[in-house]
Amino acid sequence: MKVRVTVNGRIYERDVEEHKTLLRFLREDLGLTGTKEGCGAGECGACTVFLDGKTVNSCMVLAVEADGSSIETIEGEAEDGKLSIIQEAFDHRHAVQCGFCTGGMVMSVRELLQRTPKPTIDQIKEGIDGNFCRCTGYQQIIEAVLEASGQAELADKGGLKYV
Amino acid sequence: MLQKFQYAAPTARTDLLALLAERKGKAKLLAGGTDLLVNIRNGIMKPELVINLKKVPGYSGIRWSAAEGLVISPTTTINELLRDANVRKSYPLLAECAHDLASYQVRNRATVIGNVVNASPCSDMAPALLCLEAKAIISSSRGEREVPFRDFFKGVKKTVVEEDEILERIVVPAASSGARGLYRKLKRINGHDLGIVGVAFMRKDGMVRLGISSSAPTPVLVESLRETDTVETVIAAAREAISPISDVRCSKEYRQYMVEVFVKRLYAEVK
Repeated sequence: MKVRVTVNGRIYERDVEEHKTLLRFLREDLGLTGTKEGCGAGECGACTVFLDGKTVNSCMVLAVEADGSSIETIEGEAEDGKLSIIQEAFDHRHAVQCGFCTGGMVMSVRELLQRTPKPTIDQIKEGIDGNFCRCTGYQQIIEAVLEASGQAELADKGGLKYV
Repeated sequence: MLQKFQYAAPTARTDLLALLAERKGKAKLLAGGTDLLVNIRNGIMKPELVINLKKVPGYSGIRWSAAEGLVISPTTTINELLRDANVRKSYPLLAECAHDLASYQVRNRATVIGNVVNASPCSDMAPALLCLEAKAIISSSRGEREVPFRDFFKGVKKTVVEEDEILERIVVPAASSGARGLYRKLKRINGHDLGIVGVAFMRKDGMVRLGISSSAPTPVLVESLRETDTVETVIAAAREAISPISDVRCSKEYRQYMVEVFVKRLYAEVK
């Protein structure tokens, strides 16, 4: 089936099998491998992308369903080679270790900050509760989100205060 | 990779009902896909045809009228329900249960109707819908019928919806608006997780109702309780109504114990 989608502002038209997930389509047909497959069952969030302005687990969307949609992935986060504020904060706060979860995590954080420009620590935890990170223990990610939302002072307190 | 299937995205309700009648039992309906695609991936479901409901006119949105009440459509997502001002104001128990369902990005896709037609014992929406006396409007090319949720679930993953039918609307009666209620769900982590047990507690017009998940083959409704009943009476009614099993998540004794704990707490918390 013919599918026409806009990904990170660019239009793609491809013939795609009906049973292919959006995740596989992005990775295999479009070569956008920043979006990862972790669990494939909607639990880990490594495959999180924006579909028509809302975050979804792309492992649980069919590529054919996305026909006519606008999609944003981690590849569209940096502009002209310049990291976004969220990416800068992740870098600065060491919120990335192996990096596997980071693409999806950044998508969820972007959606959280769109809804809630200055989230509390509880709101941050809820905003990323669909994204698993098995390296950082989340502390640095929470600090990065605080920094990206102009709350660096709170992030500087660090330690186990947030848990 | 998912196993192969055909795909259809009907743009007319009559086409959808015709497809269901023609492909009886061989077709699966796709709304949010958060259960369906996982089940296909795991080989639990092997549909020949997957029918996307999102292009059917009239299958989206939430409506409210004083005469009918709250009407939920086949593609209404959990987050849409949570954002709806009428839901938050008049049916807080629905919002309570919706908020506890999975993670934010799953709630962007998962639908209210999908959560009940799957008939999982741990459905988060069922406890609220049972307490609020919601009705399922089920349609097929043969016609339309109405089933109250108390009669909707028939067993683990089994409902009254036949193979050629679709649960087309959930109607939460206007008479149930204003009910006070809370939902408590026991889970391993504070983020999203399947419930180990879940208890919805509702008070309205002198009545007390409980909706309990993950404690029997189907979500359970406990009714015929009065606000004047003691906490011991309410706990005893809950204990009587459930039939928990031991499984990978916990033992039946723990489930029974925690249902009682939640009922006791909610009895005091829901004013």
